[in-house]
Formats: sequence, structure tokens, C-alpha cells
Amino acid sequence: DSHVQYERVGADVTMKCGSMDWDAAVTWTANGTDIDESHLNGSYLILKNVDLSQSGQYSCYEGSSWHLKYQTYLRVGTPPKEPVLMCRSNNYPKGFYCSWHLPTPTYIPNTFNISVIHGTKDMVCEKDAVPKNRCHIRYLQLFSTVKYKVTLTVTNALGKNFTTLTFDEFAIVKPDPPESVVAKPVPNNPRRLEVSWQNPSSWPDPESFPLKFFLRYRPLILDQWQHVELSDGTSHTITDAYAGKEYIIQVAAKDNDIGTWSDWSVAVHATPWTEEPKHLTTEAQITETTSASTSSFMAPPTTKICDKGAVVGSGAMAVCWTAGLVVAAYSVLFI
Amino acid sequence: MAAADSPSTALRRRDLCSRGIRLAGKMRADVVDLLDAYVEQQGLDASASVAAVEGVPLAAVERWDEQTGTQRLLENLAAYRAFRALLAQMLEEQREQLGEADEGLGRALAAVLLQVSAFAYHLEELLRLESRGVPGEEGDGPPPPPRLSLFEQKLRGLGVLRELAQWAVRSVRDLRQLTKPSPATGAAPSLAESP
Repeated sequence: DSHVQYERVGADVTMKCGSMDWDAAVTWTANGTDIDESHLNGSYLILKNVDLSQSGQYSCYEGSSWHLKYQTYLRVGTPPKEPVLMCRSNNYPKGFYCSWHLPTPTYIPNTFNISVIHGTKDMVCEKDAVPKNRCHIRYLQLFSTVKYKVTLTVTNALGKNFTTLTFDEFAIVKPDPPESVVAKPVPNNPRRLEVSWQNPSSWPDPESFPLKFFLRYRPLILDQWQHVELSDGTSHTITDAYAGKEYIIQVAAKDNDIGTWSDWSVAVHATPWTEEPKHLTTEAQITETTSASTSSFMAPPTTKICDKGAVVGSGAMAVCWTAGLVVAAYSVLFI
Repeated sequence: MAAADSPSTALRRRDLCSRGIRLAGKMRADVVDLLDAYVEQQGLDASASVAAVEGVPLAAVERWDEQTGTQRLLENLAAYRAFRALLAQMLEEQREQLGEADEGLGRALAAVLLQVSAFAYHLEELLRLESRGVPGEEGDGPPPPPRLSLFEQKLRGLGVLRELAQWAVRSVRDLRQLTKPSPATGAAPSLAESP
């Protein structure tokens, strides 16, 4: 018959060949490969100080007939260490979820059991399909001062362990980060960036449970962040950006009254508006150009009247174009 | 069925709710500070569990989202009236225990008591706005509890302040619910209707 046998890493394992006598002639195989007789004590297989690589199928055959007498699947592993448990409400006031994991793998199957007690009341934590190591609870009461006690027990064939978390309703409230963060330059404003975002979609009722926000930004070339806390609204204009520098911007959220700040949102990058580069024309350059023997095209220089920031209206374009023509003509005269 | 709100009533309600939210927010911040000072001064363990004490209104509520506006106001008013009496009692006990020895804690208690009284009055204003009779206070309230030991007094004080801090958060939420437009009409809900 075939079964599974669990053993701890480092253990000495003795396998009997089913009901065969100790002095029977047998052959043992591991995953189909014959095992050397040096590992046998009579018909018993002795594995000393087993390690993970020795997991596998072990079979015992009667010496002459090669009848299969015994088969077992050896799983080498460890008993579970204390699990890591976390509980959080990212959808307040609907409920909260708890998730867990083992700090180190056991290499054998584990079973997790979670219990939630609120005062004297047992609550059911419904397991999520995905991810598997998570369950959620709906709040039956709000504004309770009675703490919740969550105990997670992990069991496998080699042992068990557990951990307990105790917390109150407000302490675990932590929204997801804001979504759809967008940062844009503001036309004609070299020191401004307009940032907007949305409430996390997991937050069920931002009208009744409004969020406040924390915005941080810095130019890529510096390490120091600037911070702004915003008690309402989902947009903000940065007015002290360094001209022409690319910025990195993030936003975090928190319930207005309770709990802790979310993680930072995905970072967005933006560079404030800059004027189009002007062709620098000084008296010296004009003089050099006129004495040059080769004729190279010189783009018409922009002038004050073509400054985008200075003029508005459709007439401005005509003025700029005309000015460009005049200067080009002037330049040609001196080549 | 209550009559639909007049624009001026809706505006007044909105104004009262906004101010109430600010009052409750400030009250909560002060109660939290007071709790820290109280725990330290009374030599208590901040994480100590305190069993529900008779006479202390519990903020915990089931089906909070299904409450009508009137229910919210009435429950809040009953709670803050009870806290007014409890805090006055704590203040008296504090003075008996320490005399003038810890004026800081006494002053902080008195300041919170004042805010609780002001908030209770604010709630009465909101109820009057809805032409609801403001429930009368029952004489001097419930009969005084049996004399507690000093330690029991301290624990009860801890329970009172913790529950008050919780109520302050709940009150902010309750008042915000009152300002929400009714899903059917798009106007602020009449308090008799389910929000």
C-alpha cells in the first residue's frame, strides 16, 4: 500500500518494507533508482539526517520476485514557525480583512485556521478565493471600544504554531493609495504643476467618510521632498516648482478622522511649462556671421514681440511671422 | 410623513451640522489629550480593558447606516447629556481626591465638560429646527451610583473618556449623514426619513 510520510529536516528515518521480516531480501528504490545496500539494515531502509532533496517516492520490492511490497511518499519539511498576520480596513466602514503568511516555507502542506472574537462574540472571517491566505469580515457594529482579537493557527504534519492580534476598530483603518494621479504643466507658468487624483475605488463612501490627502513632490535632481497636506478636494497646484526641472509626485490618503495614512500612490513625473528655446543673437554673433565666407541658413531670431507669454490673440502670430521675415531679410543682406 | 424642507431650513441645518462637525472634531482632539493625561496622572495602563460601566452610553451601534436622522440626533443628545453628568461627577471626585493638587487635569476636565454641554445644546438646536420636541431631561438623571473605591473610580473615569472619544467620532459621522442629499429628491433629507 502507498501512503505519505512526513519527516523533519535533520531527522533519522527508518522505513520498514511493509510486513516483510527484518531478514528478508529486499530492494529499495528512491524515485525509481535503486538505493545502495549501505543504507539498509536488514530489510529496513535507514536515512540519516534527511534533507529536502530526499523527498520523493520510496518503494520496496521483494528480492527475487520483484513484487512491490511497500511504497511511501516521503515529504521532508519543517514544523511551522510563528505566522505573520496583518489585519486592515481599506473599505471602512464596511469591514476589514486579515492576511497572513509564513516567514519561512515548511515545504509540506499547511492548514490555516483563523478565529475572530469581538468581546464575547465569535465572528466568521470568510475566506477569499484569491488570494488564498486572506479572509474578510463585515462589521456588525461601528464605533465600538471593544477590541477585536484575531488568532491565526497554522498546522502541518510536523507541528503547529499560532499568533494573535488585538486591535480596535479605528486603529486598522488604512485606505488604499489614491488612484489615477495625473500631473500636468500649466501653460505660461514655468513654476506650476497641476496635480489631480481620485479616491481609491475600494473606499466605499467618501461622501460620508471623506479622505484627506498628503502630497509630496521633488525635482528628480534633489532628494528632499516637499509636503502638502490637503483636507479636501482631489487636486492641487504646485506653485514653487523649479523651472524646467522634471518632478516626481506622489499622493497618500487617510480617513479624515481615524486610522493611518495609505501607502504612497504610484509616482508620476511632470515638468513645468517652459518657453520655447530662443535663438540667442548678440551683436558679436551678428558681426561674426557677416564676415563668414560660407553661407549657412540662420533661423530668424525671435523677438520680444513674438514672446508667447507677452502676446495673446490671433494677431500675435501675424506679427511674429512678419518680424521673422524682416530679420531673415536683414540677415541675408549681411552674408 | 414630514414635510419637505424649506430652503432656509435646509441651509440652517447645513450650517448647524457644519459647526457641529467642527465642534465634535475639536472635542475629540481634546478628549484624546485628556485621556493621555488622565491615564498618566491616575497611574493606569493605557491598554487596560474596562468593562462596560453602568450609566456610560456606548457609542457602539448596529446598522448605523440605516438610522434615520431623528434617531441619530436623539441618541447623540441622550449620550451627551449623560456625559455631562458623568464628567461633572468625575470633576467632583477629582477635586475630592487631589484638591487643588492637579489643577491641570481638573482644568482639562472642566474644558471638555464645557464642550460636551455646548454640543448637547447644539443638538437641541438641530432637533428644534426639525420641529421635534426636545426630550426633557429626567429630573436630575438616574440615582447616584453606589460609592466606588478610588481604583474603581479611576477605571470608570477611563471608561467614560474612552467612550466619549468614540462618541465624538460617531457624532461627526452622524452629522455628515444629516447633510447628505436624499437619494430620492436630491435635497437634504427630512430627518424622519431613512437616510
